[in-house]
Amino acid sequence: MFELADQPIDSAAWRTRLAHGAAGALVVFEGWVRNHHLGRPVTELEYEAFDAHARLEGEAIIAEVEQDYPGCRVCCVHRTGRLRVGELSVWIGAAAPHRAAAFLACRQVIEELKRRLPVWKKEHHPDGATEWVNCTAEAATSRLSPETYHARQIALPEVGAAGQAALAAASLLVVGVGGLGCPAALYLATAGLGRLTLADGGLVELSNLHRQILFTADEVGVAKATAAAARLKAHNPLARIEAFATRVTPLNVRTLVAGRTAVLDCTDNFTARFLLHDACRAAGVPLVSAAVHRFEGELTVYAPGTPGCLHCQWPAHRPAELDATGDCASGPVFAPTVGVLGVMQAAEALKLILRTPGADFRHTRLLNLLDASVLAVERTANPSCPVCGQPAIIRSDRTPSRPDVILTEEAFVALGPVRTAWLLEAGETARAGFPGAECVLAGDVLRLRELAAAGPLVLACRSGVRSAALARLLRAEGMGAVFARAVGAT
Amino acid sequence: MNPTAPRLLQLQFFAALREQAGCSTLAVETAARTPAELYRELQACRGLTLPAELLRVAVNARYVAMDTPLQAGDHVVFIPPVAGG
Ligand SMILES: [Zn+2]
Repeated sequence: MFELADQPIDSAAWRTRLAHGAAGALVVFEGWVRNHHLGRPVTELEYEAFDAHARLEGEAIIAEVEQDYPGCRVCCVHRTGRLRVGELSVWIGAAAPHRAAAFLACRQVIEELKRRLPVWKKEHHPDGATEWVNCTAEAATSRLSPETYHARQIALPEVGAAGQAALAAASLLVVGVGGLGCPAALYLATAGLGRLTLADGGLVELSNLHRQILFTADEVGVAKATAAAARLKAHNPLARIEAFATRVTPLNVRTLVAGRTAVLDCTDNFTARFLLHDACRAAGVPLVSAAVHRFEGELTVYAPGTPGCLHCQWPAHRPAELDATGDCASGPVFAPTVGVLGVMQAAEALKLILRTPGADFRHTRLLNLLDASVLAVERTANPSCPVCGQPAIIRSDRTPSRPDVILTEEAFVALGPVRTAWLLEAGETARAGFPGAECVLAGDVLRLRELAAAGPLVLACRSGVRSAALARLLRAEGMGAVFARAVGAT
Repeated sequence: MNPTAPRLLQLQFFAALREQAGCSTLAVETAARTPAELYRELQACRGLTLPAELLRVAVNARYVAMDTPLQAGDHVVFIPPVAGG
């Protein structure tokens, strides 16, 4: 609840409004009129509001904060008119189940309010002079200047004014705000990006704090994306940071990835990694991926023009099975390993935006923090990759024959009406080989997965090879009723 | 509609800008096509001294970019740096 008030604030009454049984903590912020500002004595303050707009903005701020901290209730009242020294100018109360969320929510309200609420204040000095705060020439020069903030970065010949402008126009998505995502986001938040989105559906946990360096012990239980965004906004008030405190799923991944300059894969499991990889590939967005195992880590940039794809490396593996073989989600981690890898991910992403000469996205880097070595491994495309290989080269005999995947014409007819996808090679005309089929780019595994999730699916293509390879891939991922027609175009 | 034909706009001023403009509301007929052009006009004829880069603009109660095209009848508010709290 937000109010503008032209009469003194009754803080006791506001406190009562917030009382509810599920609340275990109330954090209150009171703004007081003080008797000095920038070294000059102040006798009175005069607050003026753009009423209708201020009410909407105030309500919006509270709605955002209540959404960021589930179970938290927030009230805020802001004074207008003339106030004497010692009077209450703003009262904010945040009641939450636990104190961590209450402190964070209260802080977020006052910071957002000072930045956004269309309210102005005029200082009255003892000599009768008056001054609108923040509206003087001195205020204009002393405000946080992006040029000054980024000066040492702009001084790099590889950045310069043009590079800084490219960063300001860039939009980045970090998926996973854990051991990798925390250090990556820290360096991205200070780079001057146009937009930075942090996506993570998890909560801060005590056993993760040793490597998830954006969080403090009193934030345990708070949504990671929300806590990280709050921390980074405090670190750099100029940064435009959004929290997406929800798990990335096949349903939201397209929207999240759309329009991004690059995406950072800071996840800890193959299911999420394949999902992000396929979504980025479909959207033509570069993906900077990293994974760690104890003292070792791996860094790979998948971008248009780099060799191969994630499926080249793991042909026809089920992500859940790959996850079961490792221990990255819950196993032991040497914290500096994720720290180094996360910062390297930020560096690769910034170089992608800056098109830095000398950047090399064709090698995968293998790091070993035990002997502090970095090995560059040249990536090559796997010619028989079901996703990015050429149909002329995909050797169907390399995967054991699975007769239940290939449908003969009789079996296809016997199946009755069924959803069908016609797979297109790059550059091929978008016209299905037979009526009723949806055209899908062969590399768009994301779309094929969506279709397969909706029920039985038959794949077909001109050669009959790609469809068989992709049907096997989707089967291997655990999709049941996916088939390939034995022949190509009819 | 001819984009440069003069049109009537409703302006509202707050805080430092209200004092400089000498009024809270003002109806102006202008050929300005965008808030940026409109503010340059106001600086010249109303003596507004706040630099444009310190301002935000709300048109019909929504924050918009300074180069957004203006329509006849728009309600335009130039927002000086806020100082709540
Ligand atoms: Zn591949």
